[in-house]
Amino acid sequence: MSITGLGPHGEKAASPLALKLTDADGAEAAARRFTVAVVLHTARSDWARQQLAGISSVLGQYQSAVVEVIDCGFEPKAQIEAFARLTASKADAIISIPLGNEAVADAHRLVHAAGKRLVLLDNAPTGLAPGRDYVCVVSADNFGLGEIAARLLSAHVGTEAGTGQTIGMLTYGVDFFATSEREIAFRKWLAKHRPDVKTVQSKFPSLDQVQDCAVKLLGGPTPLVGLFAVWDEPAIIAVKAIEAAGLSVPVTTIDLGNAVATNMARGGLIKAIGAQKPYDQGKAAAGATLLSLLGRDLPCWIALPGLAVTRDNVVEAYQSVWHAPAPAELLSARWT
Amino acid sequence: MSANGHVDGDGGFLGLSGPNDERVDAEQQSLAAILNLIRCDEATTRLEVERISGLGRAIVADRVATLAELGLADESELGTAAGGRAPRSIRFAGKAGLLLTAHLDQTKIAVGIANLNGNFTFEHHEPSDAIVDQQAMLTRVTTLFDWALDQHQPGGHVWGIGLSIEGPVEQRPGQPFSSPALHFLPTWDDANFIESLVAKYEVPVWVSNATQMTTLGELRAGSGKDVRNMLFVDLGKEITAGIVCDGRLYRGAQGGAGLIGHIATTEDSAVVCKCGNVGCLEALAGADAIARAATQAAREGKSPGLATILAENGDLSPTDVATAAILGDPFAAELLARSGRLIGTTIAALSNAFNPSLIVLGGPWAQHSDILLAAIREAVYRRSHPLVSRDLKIVRSQMSGTATLSGLALSILDEIFAPYSLARWVKHGSPLKHPVSVAAIAAAKRELVARAAPRLPPGGPIVKRK
Repeated sequence: MSITGLGPHGEKAASPLALKLTDADGAEAAARRFTVAVVLHTARSDWARQQLAGISSVLGQYQSAVVEVIDCGFEPKAQIEAFARLTASKADAIISIPLGNEAVADAHRLVHAAGKRLVLLDNAPTGLAPGRDYVCVVSADNFGLGEIAARLLSAHVGTEAGTGQTIGMLTYGVDFFATSEREIAFRKWLAKHRPDVKTVQSKFPSLDQVQDCAVKLLGGPTPLVGLFAVWDEPAIIAVKAIEAAGLSVPVTTIDLGNAVATNMARGGLIKAIGAQKPYDQGKAAAGATLLSLLGRDLPCWIALPGLAVTRDNVVEAYQSVWHAPAPAELLSARWT
Repeated sequence: MSANGHVDGDGGFLGLSGPNDERVDAEQQSLAAILNLIRCDEATTRLEVERISGLGRAIVADRVATLAELGLADESELGTAAGGRAPRSIRFAGKAGLLLTAHLDQTKIAVGIANLNGNFTFEHHEPSDAIVDQQAMLTRVTTLFDWALDQHQPGGHVWGIGLSIEGPVEQRPGQPFSSPALHFLPTWDDANFIESLVAKYEVPVWVSNATQMTTLGELRAGSGKDVRNMLFVDLGKEITAGIVCDGRLYRGAQGGAGLIGHIATTEDSAVVCKCGNVGCLEALAGADAIARAATQAAREGKSPGLATILAENGDLSPTDVATAAILGDPFAAELLARSGRLIGTTIAALSNAFNPSLIVLGGPWAQHSDILLAAIREAVYRRSHPLVSRDLKIVRSQMSGTATLSGLALSILDEIFAPYSLARWVKHGSPLKHPVSVAAIAAAKRELVARAAPRLPPGGPIVKRK
């Protein structure tokens, strides 16, 4: 799989292979025993747990430690407060997923000024520059993931009805690079390959409003023939809303979380998923952090390709994404 | 930089700001002067405006109030007190208008929204091969503009659009905006691209050379801040340079300055460049040349690392070569080093000619290959005159594609707020009311209508006889 998207500043993606630590690098990192704080939008999602596992595995390998994990609960204010504290702490570096754009840009800008290294996950607030304000962004190919979700949803939308069929889009109402890229790519793919289909959109500002947004989409003047949710948690909320309305609308989404994977495996409304590899992304972020602390100059955008997952390959993909056997519930759902 | 925030001598090149027959009165002139003082943070209180402008208290009070009424200045916050009552702080209303920017080239599209301070609130870059189809490109650009405005700036007032393209863009002194058609690809001949954008958004559209805009972005918002002599070198499929001399972007007689990819190298070669010459730098060290040499080596068994990547991907890019080099492939490393030496030798010649204090290396390769950059640096320092290289800094661009969008926004702001131009629109509160803007928008609409109309046969319409 190749990377189809470009970075926040138009960079071509560098492979995680560019983050190779030589034996000498490894020995120096182990001797210096770096400390790293991780700031996440949430620490409770499957994606976050996998990122943390990947980060910890690499740092641990080189005698470095995750000294703090901060769960911002999707609140930019909490992230700003965390950064104010962490910039004054003893942590050598911070790995962060910025919660939005302008709102948290200044907080992130303080890190390099405080002499610490900042590695970003998924998102770079507009106005921040690599090298000056942060080391690099490590992310999935979110543009490619959006294309995957559109292509796989299109397969469940017939062409015989002619023009005018409507696909719903549940998108994030927060200015966030990764989700914007998915949405742009989803729309672009449909416009190019399915001009017979139109889209309607509902933007949710927070997860607790997904239900209302989904109901609003479902109650629109035109029945939906498909629905795209910009990541897995809103997708599973939307599935419940569709089922509650007594409808059957195929859904595609991004991120191979447990709930959507199991729903898809048992033949539910989730028909396909564009999967990130959060564990591998976490490993790449940790590698970038270590190399940066060792004084190495790194590419500005390091991206991993997405994975197209359907019911057919969900077990194998789960193993690849999670670096673990598929859980019994998923296995039984798939094989029954 | 001059007092009004322009690159010295750079105002007016796009046609809005040149002197014309229309006379501006003293009120317009003072409004323009005060707005630029506020905009460039040279004055933040009425007292400072009075001191710098030399205008009287009553006039300053009147003009500031007028600017506030027009939505161009904000006096709602208190400044810092210096003993007595805290003065009102005057700020430029940077959100009064928006600028849309887009960069189009053979492999990608980039779009951005900037405010009137030149800061971006949104930018997006995506791969694209739509350049061969003018209508597809127009549709994509407008789709992205519309989406971005809807998502990020609903209800915002667009003041102008900046487009950058590869290759020279001929600027015609005295003629507003761009040339009427883009001829940078044969399939774009007689395109309605610009007129369509002008008519759809009802704003002026400026077209500029991408490398020059990237250079301007690096100069004003990137590594080149406070630098007066700079070279920007774009390392991509084409190798081009932007030249800043004494704080001024040098464009050349036809806007074609900086085509350094077509400088003949010292290497004896029979490789024919797309320009028709042999031995051009681009033909020997450009992205296509590197990809070609890498593919040949992979197929001939000279590079196991490249052969593995070729087998996986089906083709090879300079990024793949950089990855193979990082992984220890000696052929890939030497290929990059050789290209770097060729590029560096050419840059050294330029350095001897222009004596820059800063060279910024940008473009896709600059991000990916330390070997290439090291070879460039080594060649530049080795082949430059000792005086030229004594304090010369060579850095990698930190802005990447953002620099191009930033340069576009800054050049439009220069144009809009150039004193001659500003004085003609400031009393209306928007440059869209500038007489040249009004005329250009009307002309674009007329042109579209005329082109859509059926062509008349030579000699005029055929009149049916009764």
